[in-house]
Amino acid sequence: MAMTQESGIQYEPVAEIGGGAYGTVYKARDKQSGQFVALKSVRVQTDQEGLPLSTVREVALLRRLEQFDHPNIVKLMDVCATLRTDQETKVTLVFEHVDQDLKTYLEKAPPPGLPVSRIKDLMRQLLCGLSFLHSHRVLHRDLKPENILVTSRGQVKLADFGLARIYSCHMALTPVVVTLWYRSPEVLLQSTYATPVDIWSTGCIFAEMFRCKPLFCGESEVDQLTKIFSVIGLPSEDEWPTDVTLSRQNFCPQSPQPITDSVPEISEEGADLLLKMLTFDPLRRISALSAQEHRFFSDQPDNS
Amino acid sequence: MHDKDKLATAAANGNVELVESLLLNGADVNGVNRFGRTPIQVMMMGSTPVARVLLAHGADPNVVDAHAGATPLHDAARTGFLDTVKILIQFGANPDVGDNNNYRPVDLAQQNGHQEKTSKVSRVALFRSFAHYPVIPAFIPSYLK
Repeated sequence: MAMTQESGIQYEPVAEIGGGAYGTVYKARDKQSGQFVALKSVRVQTDQEGLPLSTVREVALLRRLEQFDHPNIVKLMDVCATLRTDQETKVTLVFEHVDQDLKTYLEKAPPPGLPVSRIKDLMRQLLCGLSFLHSHRVLHRDLKPENILVTSRGQVKLADFGLARIYSCHMALTPVVVTLWYRSPEVLLQSTYATPVDIWSTGCIFAEMFRCKPLFCGESEVDQLTKIFSVIGLPSEDEWPTDVTLSRQNFCPQSPQPITDSVPEISEEGADLLLKMLTFDPLRRISALSAQEHRFFSDQPDNS
Repeated sequence: MHDKDKLATAAANGNVELVESLLLNGADVNGVNRFGRTPIQVMMMGSTPVARVLLAHGADPNVVDAHAGATPLHDAARTGFLDTVKILIQFGANPDVGDNNNYRPVDLAQQNGHQEKTSKVSRVALFRSFAHYPVIPAFIPSYLK
């Protein structure tokens, strides 16, 4: 996979599909294969040394991941760098485009929603992709139904991972509205965070697979935390992180509510896994690897 | 974002609520975005709800990509979303037209099935059966009645 100098030749954009915070995302057609691809561009500042080392490192990491050809990760097909001015270079990452996301997939599910066997299969694949990323010390940080892709064969592929650090300097410059609904308490509290943030998001998405609607729909950070505590209960003073400005006193005392009140359709095993994912303390939250081994996935005959 | 891109972008993102509201507010279902594509050409192929809304509002299912020669039916077939294939054909998409490589949609569906031999036969058979579906007239959404 060579660094292509000209990005305009092989890929023809057909629609803008996202962006704002860090650059623009286009749906494009690969002129050779006829297939759709996703072009994600970011503008980076350059000097005589060329691209910043941090950008080169992140791109190298994404390429290293690509070599594993993991079934639950979108393919990185190409990386193009185009010099725009002396001070600015446009880096374009060319990813495989899957024409369906989990949001659409869930919307299409006829009532009463997805069968449990389908939820198990989707979750197994999601956790498989996630534990692969985590084993390479890559955080997703923004896992949500819109960037979990589902092919027409039902194969799950995670997209938009590992881009946060490439984009980080730009995100600070452009305020955009991003969804808070899948965000973990430690991120909402601006505490230190690591791989458990993705498990929190996975828990929210797991619940959504049963409910066919999001679990916690907050409108601000505090509102999001309030909605979370109304289900999992207000954590104790010892559990509250010490490195945050928002104090525990800002929230009403709440005891944990039965998770089946929020997700009535879930089985006992499913509820146990969900609670282990929606654990406030990131150090006590289940890991992707352990979640894969959970008894929810053991092959017992279920009724659906 | 450019105003003329809104409907195509909403369709590409599979955002059926936004597609509907833009159409009800007078967006042209066959208007092109700044890349010269109509919403049905760039829609999320797996979103049958978006396909249905666009087609019900009169989207032309036989629009041809200026460079690839592909119709939406080619792309739905290539990506394997058979529900979308079915809706396109029901709304009059021509299954016999070739793209620039002279591939018909069914050829791309077949190529798409190569990786998984087991599903190949049934996929193609299913696709052929859709080609014989009666073409239904575009239904009028209840809110327009």
